Amino acid sequence: MHFFMMALYAAITAVVLAAIDPKAETTRQKALHGLKTFGGFLGIGLLLSLILYPLPW
Amino acid sequence: MQTRDELRDPITPVSARALAAETPRTYPASIRTAAVIAAWLVPGGGHLLLGRFGRALLFFFTLVGSFVLGLSIEGRLFWPTVADPTSFMHYDLITVLWSFAQIGGGLCYVVSYALGFGLSARPEAATYEYANTFMILAGLLNYLVVIDAFDIASGRKR
Repeated sequence: MHFFMMALYAAITAVVLAAIDPKAETTRQKALHGLKTFGGFLGIGLLLSLILYPLPW
Repeated sequence: MQTRDELRDPITPVSARALAAETPRTYPASIRTAAVIAAWLVPGGGHLLLGRFGRALLFFFTLVGSFVLGLSIEGRLFWPTVADPTSFMHYDLITVLWSFAQIGGGLCYVVSYALGFGLSARPEAATYEYANTFMILAGLLNYLVVIDAFDIASGRKR
């Protein structure tokens, strides 16, 4: 549930940020930017969860 | 000796048209203002006004979808509430910030309020925090979309 919500959040953000990116001229560049943003959100989310998991508080 | 073709202006009518299509266009102030207001009221409305149909549809479905998803899973509409009337910070800061973020959704917020959706908070619901996050996300991203519509209308980008 939490991962699905995180992925949905990342997808919505990535789509909008890619569409308004002023540097990306072509659709391919926008798609790449969106994929990078999506991957970055998920990757950082998973990394933070792994770091925070052992903490007792 | 140069031929007549070689003496002709290197920018032919076809390439001039292509160049004009490539160059960002500056819209009049009235259209710029209308685009910004439309973009805030309806996500994607500003882009629709400026003829960016693909992006308009994308923003509409993504942002309205995010807001409606939030509302449908126990989300709540925020409004600044008074925390302590005697203190320097009169209002509860978190409700001020969250209501600012949600109001970015424009008519999504207003219509939901008018129809009575999201007026009662149910913090005990498992999806309460997720729901608020999606509604806040929709509003904040719509502020970026409004700025994007203004940039297009003022000729800063295509």
